[in-house]
Amino acid sequence: MVKSTRLALAVLTGLIASPAFAQDLPKLTIYTYDGFAAEWGPGPGLKAGFEATCVCTVEWVAADSSIGTLRRVQLEGASTEADIIVGLDTAIAGEARATGLFADHGLDLSGLSLPEPWTDGQFVPFDYAHFAFVYDSDTVATPPKSFEELIALPEDFKIVVQDPRSATPGLGLVLWIAAAYGDRAPEIWAGLKPHILTVTREWSESYNLFLTGEADMALSYSTSPAYHIISEGDDTIHAAIFSEGHLAQTEVAGILRSSDQPELAKQFLAYLTSMDGQKLIPSTNWMFPVTDIGDALDPAFATLPQPAKTLTLTDEDIAANSQRWIDQMLAAVQ
Amino acid sequence: MIGTKVMLTLPHRPIRILAALTLATAIATLIALVLWAIMAAATGNSTGSRIDIPHLLRMTSIQAGLTAVLSLLVGAALAWSLNRLRFPGRDMVVGLFASAIVTPGMVVAFGLLSIWGRNGWINRASEALFGTSIGNPAFGLSGILLAHVVLDGAFAARIMLARLDAIPSARLKTGQSLGLSAWQRFTLLDLPAIRGTVPGLAAIIFLLAFTSFPIVLMLGGGPANQTLEVAIYAAVRQDFDLVGAVYLATTQIAVCSLVILAASALAPIPTSFGASTAPRWRDAGLAQALQITVLGLCLVGFALPLLSVLVDGLSSGIGRIVAKPSFWWATASSLLIGSASALLTLALALTLALGRGATGRGIVRTLLGMPAFAYLAVPAVVLSLGFFLLVRQLGLEASFAAPFVVILANSLLALPFAMATLGPPLEAIARTRGKLIRSLGLSGWQQFASVEYPLIGRDIGVMLALAFCFSLGDLGVIALFGTQDFQTLPLMMFRALGSYRGNDAAAIAAILLIGTVVAFVGLPKLFERIAHAAR
Repeated sequence: MVKSTRLALAVLTGLIASPAFAQDLPKLTIYTYDGFAAEWGPGPGLKAGFEATCVCTVEWVAADSSIGTLRRVQLEGASTEADIIVGLDTAIAGEARATGLFADHGLDLSGLSLPEPWTDGQFVPFDYAHFAFVYDSDTVATPPKSFEELIALPEDFKIVVQDPRSATPGLGLVLWIAAAYGDRAPEIWAGLKPHILTVTREWSESYNLFLTGEADMALSYSTSPAYHIISEGDDTIHAAIFSEGHLAQTEVAGILRSSDQPELAKQFLAYLTSMDGQKLIPSTNWMFPVTDIGDALDPAFATLPQPAKTLTLTDEDIAANSQRWIDQMLAAVQ
Repeated sequence: MIGTKVMLTLPHRPIRILAALTLATAIATLIALVLWAIMAAATGNSTGSRIDIPHLLRMTSIQAGLTAVLSLLVGAALAWSLNRLRFPGRDMVVGLFASAIVTPGMVVAFGLLSIWGRNGWINRASEALFGTSIGNPAFGLSGILLAHVVLDGAFAARIMLARLDAIPSARLKTGQSLGLSAWQRFTLLDLPAIRGTVPGLAAIIFLLAFTSFPIVLMLGGGPANQTLEVAIYAAVRQDFDLVGAVYLATTQIAVCSLVILAASALAPIPTSFGASTAPRWRDAGLAQALQITVLGLCLVGFALPLLSVLVDGLSSGIGRIVAKPSFWWATASSLLIGSASALLTLALALTLALGRGATGRGIVRTLLGMPAFAYLAVPAVVLSLGFFLLVRQLGLEASFAAPFVVILANSLLALPFAMATLGPPLEAIARTRGKLIRSLGLSGWQQFASVEYPLIGRDIGVMLALAFCFSLGDLGVIALFGTQDFQTLPLMMFRALGSYRGNDAAAIAAILLIGTVVAFVGLPKLFERIAHAAR
């Protein structure tokens, strides 16, 4: 597919493209979201790393979002070219599983280091971070330490969040508050309402509203500060740790049942969770690795404060209630 | 609606009408196919929308109606001022205003915030000078309206200015010798010239505001100010309720069609065409003071946000971006896609507009006017899904089809803007020169080559600039196609924004803006020159 986009562009320019000779190597087609496959994302490094160990070629096919990859395979059904999807997360894993499109991974994942032991038979985790509000210590000297402290702040203390219907962290916040407060969630949302400057479609819009000083805090990840420390030498961005505990977003990969390369796909997932694969993740995807990679983890990650408590929700809980929780949130902030 | 007198003076051009009708049918069929493909792929029943649709429609209509009225008023005032005033850098200012609408909405929104926001230039100046802030006017309904008026008002001004600049010098000379007051001049000479643009502009602006999604969501302050597009997006992406999405999309199309129908059914309004070599005729005293005030306000309101985009971009390290090979690949892709889309848009718009100008029948004019707006009425996420399914149905490889789909989609997106630019002058030519053309016995081609083309050369330039810049635009329509190797500048910008690289995004936004202004200043001049050389 890589070739064919180039070919199409070449046809458009009137160039005569020399068709690339089809290689006889087995091909592993992996659907992912475009930030993952982007030049600064983990995609290129993982491809090079895996191709060095297998006799195969890896091809990334990027949709615009992680939910987009799932929707694409749902539309394609058994005729999909995808062998693997990389980049779903725990909030949609249940729905993905229910499609019946995914096969068991068959890997032993007991050696992973995650906030909670991993027991999923179909999806393999490859990075994680906790949802968290970030603040700038230059402008916010004493960040709130819980949702209730945030609610109690003066109304001109503004936060930006994302629409749960279009952005992963937006859905994450809905689940987080539901996990932390249960039936009291609508009350928490009503309390947050005066502080919510706006609800954006994407994470990037919220985050930039925060960076440009329009809001005091933005919903993001506990690992967001690592980017600023490592890439910009800026240590003023911090994640506020809440005493209720935080929900983690764990990104996962799964093998399609319809794959014609199941063995190769399994090898790839093993590589993805191996030391070599995991080393590539933190400073490209700005998330924690799921394997202890020792000194290979940039010290900036080690300095990040970790929540004392990790909240969890089961697939069944999410499937049964997320619609209702989203509606409650929308009604409360309306 | 058109009297038989007009019909008699129109040259007989059955081929033009037939070609336009064929194209209109093709566009309508494409939209129908898109919806059909989604329905065919849907499994199971709709889970039913949880959205209060009547409420949403009411809110969105109010917002879009306000946007349209305000944008037209502001646009007319700005066009009036720009038409009268001459100052160094005027072309640049006109180009900057025009570029607002083709700049990705998110860039304009962030530009606005850097002027009007809590931490914006005005607040910081106000705090430094008076120790108090103006608060945060950039969010809520006022924020949405502000952003939309910046985007759409400046566009309206550009289109109206083209009509004002085309008022024949003979009319101006007569007016001047009659000693018309500034007000009389406006009502007797200007208003008739810009009236023809109002239905098309009003419809475009209403539809843009009606369907605008990211800006409304970002500046709206929350779900209270959302549009139907958000609900459709949720149905397609989050709920994967395809049947429900098609129902919602049909609702949106139906509402939009009412607006389109109203705009398309209006009788053509005589307007002027061609460039005038007008004698300088300044308005005196009060009127000129007003023009300077309007221009000044618009510069602060519209141009400053764009200027801040440039300042941010240029100060955040353009060097790092231009050093990347991927930047040049993206630039090449953008130029290629932009040029191809602009040419296709020109062909589509000319076909429709020439056919429309050639007929005197109200119903045919209406039918030929409607498909131009198709793209604005159909939700983007529905189009992208439908195109993906259609490409699969045709057995094409998604990534091979992607660039072609983008070019087609971009052309359809730019089509209403192109029609608003080319439609009024072409109609006017057919109606005012029809008799002459008939008596000379010109063929359709001769009519185009020796009458129409030389007179609309500049408008073609404006249209190409619009379509070109629009089409550098985002690749939302190929969201599912596999986009990793296919990168354009706007996409590169959004990707940078989505992965913490705000500085890179700012630099690309500045580069895009500079390119846009260059296109808007350069292309109309270039085409005016070519068209005149042809004569």
